[in-house]
Amino acid sequence: MKLLVFISFIAFITLTSPDEVSAQIAMDNHTVTVSVSEITLLQVSSGSVNLTITGANAVAGVDMMSTTDQSSSLSWGTNGSLKKITVQSNLAAPLFTLKVLALNPTQGLASPEVTLSSAWQDFLLNIGRTSGSCTLRYTGIAYASQGMGTDTHSITFTIQTQ
Amino acid sequence: MTRVLPYCALWFKLLLLGFAINALLCSAAMAQEIRVQGGNPILTITAGVPGGQPIAVTNSTTSIRYRRQTGLTTKITVQTVCPGQKFNLQVVAINVTAGTPAPAVTLTTGMLATNLITNIPPRPPTNESCTLVYTASSTFAQGNSVELGDDVHTVVYTLIAQ
Repeated sequence: MKLLVFISFIAFITLTSPDEVSAQIAMDNHTVTVSVSEITLLQVSSGSVNLTITGANAVAGVDMMSTTDQSSSLSWGTNGSLKKITVQSNLAAPLFTLKVLALNPTQGLASPEVTLSSAWQDFLLNIGRTSGSCTLRYTGIAYASQGMGTDTHSITFTIQTQ
Repeated sequence: MTRVLPYCALWFKLLLLGFAINALLCSAAMAQEIRVQGGNPILTITAGVPGGQPIAVTNSTTSIRYRRQTGLTTKITVQTVCPGQKFNLQVVAINVTAGTPAPAVTLTTGMLATNLITNIPPRPPTNESCTLVYTASSTFAQGNSVELGDDVHTVVYTLIAQ
C-alpha cells in the first residue's frame, strides 16, 4: 500500500511537471521611456544676400531709390508652444534702410515688413509646435541725398517664447 | 477500514506536498519561459530638421530569451500600456534564433496583443533569443517632454501557443 501511495505521488508530480504547463501563457515585461527634448531649429537658405542700388533703380525727380531680393528663405521647426520668430541686425546705425518681410509662410502669421535695427523685432508670430518655411524678401532703400556707401548687416533670426 | 485510513492520510499529505512542489516548479518554469533582459531603456529625441521633423532615435540594448515548448508551436506577442501617450514608439525583433519575426509593431497604449515572433517550433533545442529594437519618433506638432512629460510604456511580452 505504501508503494502504491508513493507511485501515485511520483505520477502526480511527473504528470503535472513544468513541461506540461509550459504550453500555457508565460509573460514578462519592462518599462520603455520616450523623452522628447525641447527642440527649436532655424536655418537660412543662403549665406549672403547682396542688394545693389544703381542708377537703374532711380527715377528722375524722385529722391528714394530701392531694390528687392527674394532669393533666400528661412526654415524652422519647434515643438514648443507659444513661439515666434524675431529678427535683428548687428548694425546699430546703418547708412541706408533695410527691410525684411516673411513671404508666404507655411505656418504662422507674418508681421508687417520690419525695418531692421539692432533691436529684436517680431518677424513671424504663432509658430508654436510647427515646422515650416517662408521666403525672405529684403528691400534696400536709399535716398539720393544720402550719397554712396555700403552697409554690411549680419542678420540673426531667433525663436522665442511669444 | 482502520488499516486503510492511515494510508489515506499519508496519501493526502503527499498530495499536498505534491501541490506545493509542483507550484514551485511551475512558477520557476513559467518565469524562465520568457525573460526580457537588458533593463528599462530610455529613448531621448534631441535633434530635428528645420522645415522637417524631429529625428527618430533607436535603442537595441534589450533582448528576449525564450524557450521552445515540447510538442507545441508557439509565438510571442507584444502589447503596451502608456497612460496619456503622446509620442510614437515601435518595436521589432531582430537576430531571432527561432521563429519568424513580424514587421515592426507600433506600440499604442491599450493595443491588443500583436505578433512579434511567430512559428516558434517545438523543442529541442530549448533556449532561444532575439534583440529588441525600439524606435521612438515624434513630430513638432506632438510637442516635447518639458511641457507634456515623458511617455512611460509598460511593454508586455507573452509566449503563447500558436
